[in-house]
Amino acid sequence: MTTTTTPHGTDLGPAGSGLGTSRVGFGRLVRAEWTKLRSVPRWGLIMLAAVGLTILVSLLSAAGSSFQRDSVAPPPVGPHGGQVEDAFRFVHQPLTGDGTITARVRELVAVEGPDQPWAKAGLMVKDGTAPGARYAAMLYTPGHGVRWQTNFVVDRAGTIARGEPWLRLTRAGATVTGYESTDGTTWRRVGSVELAGLPATAEVGLFVASPRADRVERQFNATSVTSSSTWSTARFDDVAVRPATGQPAANWTDEAIGMTGLAKPTAPGAGPAAPAAPGAPDGLDGPDVPPVALVSGAPDATGASTVTGSGDVAPRAVDEDLTRMSLSGALIGLLPIVALGALFITAEYRRGMIRTTFAASPRRGRVVLAKAVVLAGVTFVVGLVTCATAFLVSQPGQRESGFVAPLFPDRSLTDWPVLRAVVGTALVLALVAVLSLALGTVLRRSAGAITVVVLLMVLPQMVAGALPLTAARWMMRLLPSAGFSIQQTNPRYEHVASVCLPEAGCVPDSPWLGLAVLTGYVAVAVAAACWLVRRRDA
Amino acid sequence: MEATIEARGLRKRYGGTVAVHDLSFTVPAGRVTGFVGPNGAGKSTTMRMILGLDAPDGGTALVGGRPYRSLRTPLRAVGALLDAGAVHPGRRARDHLLWMAHSNGLPTRRVDEVVEQVGLGAAARRRTGGFSLGMRQRLGIAAALLGDPPVLLLDEPVNGLDPEGIRWIRGLLRSLAAQGRAVLVSSHLMSELEGSADHLLVIGRGRLIADTSVAALLATASGDRVALRTTRRAEAMELLANAGATVAAIDAETLTVSGLTAESVVTLLTARALPFSEVVAHRASLEEAYLELTGNAAEFTAVTGPAEFGAAADPAEVDATAGREA
Repeated sequence: MTTTTTPHGTDLGPAGSGLGTSRVGFGRLVRAEWTKLRSVPRWGLIMLAAVGLTILVSLLSAAGSSFQRDSVAPPPVGPHGGQVEDAFRFVHQPLTGDGTITARVRELVAVEGPDQPWAKAGLMVKDGTAPGARYAAMLYTPGHGVRWQTNFVVDRAGTIARGEPWLRLTRAGATVTGYESTDGTTWRRVGSVELAGLPATAEVGLFVASPRADRVERQFNATSVTSSSTWSTARFDDVAVRPATGQPAANWTDEAIGMTGLAKPTAPGAGPAAPAAPGAPDGLDGPDVPPVALVSGAPDATGASTVTGSGDVAPRAVDEDLTRMSLSGALIGLLPIVALGALFITAEYRRGMIRTTFAASPRRGRVVLAKAVVLAGVTFVVGLVTCATAFLVSQPGQRESGFVAPLFPDRSLTDWPVLRAVVGTALVLALVAVLSLALGTVLRRSAGAITVVVLLMVLPQMVAGALPLTAARWMMRLLPSAGFSIQQTNPRYEHVASVCLPEAGCVPDSPWLGLAVLTGYVAVAVAAACWLVRRRDA
Repeated sequence: MEATIEARGLRKRYGGTVAVHDLSFTVPAGRVTGFVGPNGAGKSTTMRMILGLDAPDGGTALVGGRPYRSLRTPLRAVGALLDAGAVHPGRRARDHLLWMAHSNGLPTRRVDEVVEQVGLGAAARRRTGGFSLGMRQRLGIAAALLGDPPVLLLDEPVNGLDPEGIRWIRGLLRSLAAQGRAVLVSSHLMSELEGSADHLLVIGRGRLIADTSVAALLATASGDRVALRTTRRAEAMELLANAGATVAAIDAETLTVSGLTAESVVTLLTARALPFSEVVAHRASLEEAYLELTGNAAEFTAVTGPAEFGAAADPAEVDATAGREA
């Protein structure tokens, strides 16, 4: 048995309590605050209101949304398993075994529609011409310079930003390596990839893609996005295909890959020079094909070629985020939680009970922290159950509204992006509860604290539509409401331009970065609360 | 730990108002110390400073020789009742005591013990919103007793208690002091402390006016006054005033005489053949003694109150009264 000496002493002499000594750690404070929280029935009702509102609003938004099913074919699926866009003009020939293709991009301009920073002109090695097939490409873009891209999701920048770059792809076994050069003699390696399962004969050639242009028109409470196809034309020269053994194929094939609605060019057996002549018909005769699309063809004898293309080679950008939609009720369910967070401390200030609290625990900062731990814990657990429920119950409604496979594959709670969104939303609720608690501590009034937190969390999305796009985007990423970006499950890629509308709740940052912004606000508010309670008279 | 409270040069101002000015006192173990002064005299402010709730602008307050805020389990060292209304109305009384017990690592059985000790009994299972002021006071006292502390600070504990409750708390205070605890009890009414306090700290306008035992205070305040009952009050007043005494009328038949001994009063009245039914050496009530002390210091002097009778020393006033009576 050890003897414990307590400097502050509970040995009370004749009047001693005989209650013994007990270490009072942080856990005791947490237990005390938990007792406080659970023993006020009204607070339990507030929590229930949060649960009910979250699930109800999620259900309503699932039932209220709609998606018109047109008869488009399901989008192609890339090697990574995700849906992709794979539409481009491909002037190609088969290459058997190892070899190299080289070309110089002289010019890439939009010929139909506005300039596209992510229009692409370059070289490609692809496993056949089926949309979604694996590939590796060295390409030039007007807005982002030379890039190395493979299998839709991989994108790496070269060093050449503008000018007329030389590009090269080399195949050695299943490995394809991309090079760039400013002069055609000094080559710099940009990227390399192993295309597992690439057959002995792969298609190599020139390609041009030009993504759709999204035009956003915004007026207060009315935003419209119109999307139209664009066409870009690239001029290449010094095109050369050099197999490691043997001679290059004599014939080029000029083909429009995956251009839905556009007729395929019919250019079997076309000679090197034949389709190159301006205005020569190459078989594109669909209703949406502008005359400029016809200006395209295989390299001539000098290795010069003009190629006009439309479409994109990239992961498919999905506007509708069904997981986010099924968790949208959290924005409303948040309101009772904000009230609860503030009341947890302001109720004590209002009745003077805070003095009893601080007399029982003179280390006041720890009291605030214990309150935060209890509140965050309870809100997180309740939030987690609520969000999982909201996700599950809104699934049938979403399917009835037209969000069905294959365009919208079924999702499960255990899919990582879904799990991240559900757990993340519960985290957001917990963090907001603590933010409200901290502001309640600072202001000592529930009305003020609740107003401030609600303004910070809910207002940005409401007023975003009235602000210029840039200002609205910065507001969405800098205010604590950025935490809701954790609900976004659609992957976002740097090399895919997307319309990210703040009024639709889109935050241009990654899910975790948004959550980090919210966490930062909470940390500052809690620190301020701890500092103030120590300084101020109770 | 010693069971004491020490204040040394405590000062506190709120804005331009001086709430407490240079207050020093010691509350020793084993007796009930009354802390009296009019409303706004600075009693509650002083108690909050002792409990580390308000930071003094100067001076120190020590509990058992240590600043309150350095205590890690303060409920085991000091029990305090500040404001009986400072409970959440939606919470059961027992839960209120339970969180306090948890915060200081006190066993749950203490909650049940103090509930019984203050006589809350079954009401402990009820929400405090439905409590009477008296029940809230009992709950607040239960909270103060929770950690079985050697030092107790009770701010106006008698407030709202019924006569039975007042008797109960007097007994409780005495028994707590008898166990060797230091007990500081504040009140703005001296009469509430009568019969329970051994020692008094009298405070007015934030300053200590008296630090005295109850017996000494009474002796001082009683002076050499004599109470006289006579049916011929006006004549008696005139006679005694002419003899050099200061006379105050208490009611239609009662006078207080100071400056003359009881024997002299009897002699004078007999010589004039004025009938009287009673002549006694006056023993001041604690209330009178207190009012005498705080007469100058009170923030709010009562317009009509017993002060005019208890300690009137102005001959003009006596004359005026006498004149009206005549």
